[in-house]
Amino acid sequence: MTDTTLAPARQPIVKRYPVVLVFLGCLALFTLGITVLSEGFGIGVISTSFIKTLGKTLCLCLVALAMDLVWGYCGILSLGHMAFFGIGGYAIGMWLMYARTEIIVVQSLAAAPLPPTAQEISDGIATQIFGVVGASEFPPIWAFAHSLPLQLAAVVLVPGLLALVFGWLAFRSRVTGVYLSILTQAMTLALALYLFQNDSGLRGNNGLSGLQNLPGLGHVPQSTVSIWFFWASALALGLGFVLCTWVVSGKFGSVIRAIRDDESRVRFLGYPVEAYKLFVFTLTAVIAAIAGALYYPQAGIINPAEIAPIASIYLAVWVAIGGRGRLYGAVIGAAFVSLLSTYFTGGQAPDINLGFYTIQWVNWWTVLLGLSFVVVTLFAPKGLGGLFDLIAARTSPNRHGADLGPDVGALREKEAEK
Amino acid sequence: MSVFRHLFVAALSLAATLAALSVSAQQVDAPIQRLLQDHGEVIAKSSRRTIGPAIDALAASGLDEAQTVLERWRDKEMWLNEETGLFVYAEEIDRRTIRTFDFATGEALGEFEDKAYKQLKPNSGIRGLINAALVRFQLTDPNPAARRAALNAIERDADETHLAALRAVVEAEDNPNIAARMARLERLLTIQFDKDEAQRIAAIESFSGDLSVEVRAALNPLVVTKLDVDTTVPEDADVVRTLTPGSEALSVDAAYGLLVSRELAVERISRDAQKAALIANIDGDRVGGIQVASLDTEASRDLAYAELVRLGAVEPAATDAEVSEVLEQFVFFERYSAVPPEIALAAQAVLTGIENKVAVNQTIDLGLDALSLASIYFLAAIGLAITFGVMGVINMAHGEFIMMGAYTGYVVQLFVPDYTLSILLAIPLAFIVTFGAGVAMERLVIRWLYHRPLETLLATFGISIALQQLAKNIFGTQARPLTAPGWLDGSLVFNDIVSISYIRIAIFVLALLFLALFLIVMNRTRLGLEVRAVTQNPRMAASMGINPDRINMLTFGFGSGIAGIAGVAIGLYAKVTSEMGSDYIVQSFMTVVVGGVGNIWGTLLGATMVGTLQKGIEWLNPSNTLAAQTYMILFIILFIQFRPKGIIALKGRAAEA
Repeated sequence: MTDTTLAPARQPIVKRYPVVLVFLGCLALFTLGITVLSEGFGIGVISTSFIKTLGKTLCLCLVALAMDLVWGYCGILSLGHMAFFGIGGYAIGMWLMYARTEIIVVQSLAAAPLPPTAQEISDGIATQIFGVVGASEFPPIWAFAHSLPLQLAAVVLVPGLLALVFGWLAFRSRVTGVYLSILTQAMTLALALYLFQNDSGLRGNNGLSGLQNLPGLGHVPQSTVSIWFFWASALALGLGFVLCTWVVSGKFGSVIRAIRDDESRVRFLGYPVEAYKLFVFTLTAVIAAIAGALYYPQAGIINPAEIAPIASIYLAVWVAIGGRGRLYGAVIGAAFVSLLSTYFTGGQAPDINLGFYTIQWVNWWTVLLGLSFVVVTLFAPKGLGGLFDLIAARTSPNRHGADLGPDVGALREKEAEK
Repeated sequence: MSVFRHLFVAALSLAATLAALSVSAQQVDAPIQRLLQDHGEVIAKSSRRTIGPAIDALAASGLDEAQTVLERWRDKEMWLNEETGLFVYAEEIDRRTIRTFDFATGEALGEFEDKAYKQLKPNSGIRGLINAALVRFQLTDPNPAARRAALNAIERDADETHLAALRAVVEAEDNPNIAARMARLERLLTIQFDKDEAQRIAAIESFSGDLSVEVRAALNPLVVTKLDVDTTVPEDADVVRTLTPGSEALSVDAAYGLLVSRELAVERISRDAQKAALIANIDGDRVGGIQVASLDTEASRDLAYAELVRLGAVEPAATDAEVSEVLEQFVFFERYSAVPPEIALAAQAVLTGIENKVAVNQTIDLGLDALSLASIYFLAAIGLAITFGVMGVINMAHGEFIMMGAYTGYVVQLFVPDYTLSILLAIPLAFIVTFGAGVAMERLVIRWLYHRPLETLLATFGISIALQQLAKNIFGTQARPLTAPGWLDGSLVFNDIVSISYIRIAIFVLALLFLALFLIVMNRTRLGLEVRAVTQNPRMAASMGINPDRINMLTFGFGSGIAGIAGVAIGLYAKVTSEMGSDYIVQSFMTVVVGGVGNIWGTLLGATMVGTLQKGIEWLNPSNTLAAQTYMILFIILFIQFRPKGIIALKGRAAEA
């Protein structure tokens, strides 16, 4: 009897968090709709390039989800998650580039009178890939590039290990708050600067290119490939959403929110704060890397500029505009801001003629974004997600003024409803 | 009266000139003509072997005209009148006619058909001799500038003959500066050209410890070595060192190549050549009895090639095993190849000494570089030390304040063309502009976000992005110049290695000034007292009658204003672009964090450490400044592990504030 009062029967996650069902439903409908309208599988209303943009946006939503988990729930403002995103992209890009070049080289050598030796093939690939940076040998980090499973493992393991080591070093010396943000930014900058060198082994500022061509699937048109990647991105986003909801739902979720709100109190209660933070940091780094591995084959090219600290700052911008501390907020923010950015910087937005000056959105969008970011921070800390509260407030019971966002108290949905 | 006399004299001299022209008389017995006649045959014959005495005689004659003769001769303008046997110089009027001049007087003799004249065309060997003789003339030229020019010419392109020329004049030179240069040049030429070994060694040793580039340029060719091979190491004095094939200094290919060129070993075949040979010998679907399709490994290709050798179809080639076997039978060593070993050893000893001294001086130079980089970081970080260190407000737009200061300087220079004046104007203006921007930002944004550091960071990021793009929209993406006044051009040179540009010295001085300003404002003024009070305990300060809002505003403005002035200084040394701020922001935060938040001495130490570290890593890997920054950041991340509070950590109550 007492058991049931102290620990009520655990309900399935979808019942406790109906938002998961709503989200998955919306995502499925969206995916289906786009598929029907696409060139590859449907009636061809939406161009392949726009399908790619949508697929990329889904990947950005996934990395924003990770950012929300680490920042909105755990309070670690990491300015390095786009670096993990980039590493994931590089890891998959290495295989894509190697395998495709291998096919080309083997084809060209097949015409020769003697069958090529393994060394000749390898030399041919290396010359093709690294000729642009004046090298003709494989650097050691390409040792596994020939194998898809190993590179897929690298997508997860390399950023995971990096996050683990960096996080362990940072958390154990109690670097917190803005110091941690600056430290993660420094890490990102160091990585970007390193990759910019020609002898980094990843083609310097040329980056890896031609990633949109899947090796061995040259006969499949891009319109089909783009839909495949779109599905994969949607699937990854759905799974990521469920995973993140599951992580934040239980006791674990309560602890990380408690760490966000008062770290030393949680430490006093006997929780290993560093271990919790390290887990969240590493998990989100892996999610970010997977998002990157799905993003860059759709983008077709990756170069070190994508890893520069400003990218991670934009990631924080998306999450802040979407609404921290709620997972769907991050998704909405990333989708909304990145699509709007594409619209404004793509030159499609009409210029505004003020008579004495013409506002060209290509130039002024960044200014607007920066300022709107200030406005959101100052006046709408709950972001776009806060709009849902306005609707929800009509139907849900009175919370006695208690909020759910970060920095204002660690109330969970159920606690607030009492 | 005197007017008449002048006229008379003038008339007389005119008459004399006319008379001279009318007879067009050549001064047959002028000393220079006589000298030329003495060597007339040799000169007319123009042979490299026999011409020496003639040129020497001309050069040694002491006649002023000798220089003209040599110059005209070299330039193929000396002609010989074959009827009279007299030498003249001439300019060609057209293909047939020449206008001749007398060497002795320099006067025109008239226009003649060139049939009677023979043009002297010295070959390049003779011209070289003439040039060397001419240098001697320039070396004794009464005009010191001409003597210096001659020395410059020798320095640029010296040859053997210059050595004798220099030696002939060095004693007589009376200008002490030029004499010193001559003596030094004479020693340098002795090293290169003297036949006497003892003299050369003495000259080499006289340069011991000399840092100049020319000395090293003169000595380096003497210690050139050549790879040699034998079965045992000879006992000769000129053997420098023995080398093992496969080491860094000697690759296996190079070692084996030497053996092949000495015909001590069979040539090795490259993979490409082997492939070509195999292709040339394809017979149906087989090569040497092996199926073509199976030739996809190196081992099978070696087998097929060996088979072809057995059949006599191709030349035998060494296999890898044979190569290493042959290499083991020989020793490889280097010997001095340019000069006799005694000289080479002396040169090597002096060079080693010089190189040690160069290393010491390079360290000093590196230290100066590091110091100037440190002062740039300090300048960039000092405003941050106020806003972040003292107030605890994290301002990511700090770099953009630096940029605003630099652009202010650029705009001032557009209106004030005088660079000195414009810089003097730009510094207070930059302070005012960025002070205003800082105050506005504090009032509008930051004061709502005190005690919410992460949100401050984000909001200021937003401002940073907007300001950067705004600057791009206004000033464009290309770099704008901020020109330093002329008196800051050039650099302070200590020797050929250690030098520092005046701009860097100015930045260093500016950094010291800022340090003093900061210390005075914080420790000696009412404002500083109030700032410290408000940072330590705002409520207590407020109850003492201090207005914390006002103090926060002023402090933030002060920190931003200093960033603006730093921007002018940095703009002088680097280019002004919209992204210049973001180049410094991470390093600036690093500087403050490494040094210890809240302590200006810590910031100073932090800047010194970051600057020294970056230069040090750059020195270890000079080709790659990107890598230097990468490793520096990694080092700082590690450093913070061990001293999380920075070099100078605040203790007690100040640390809690």
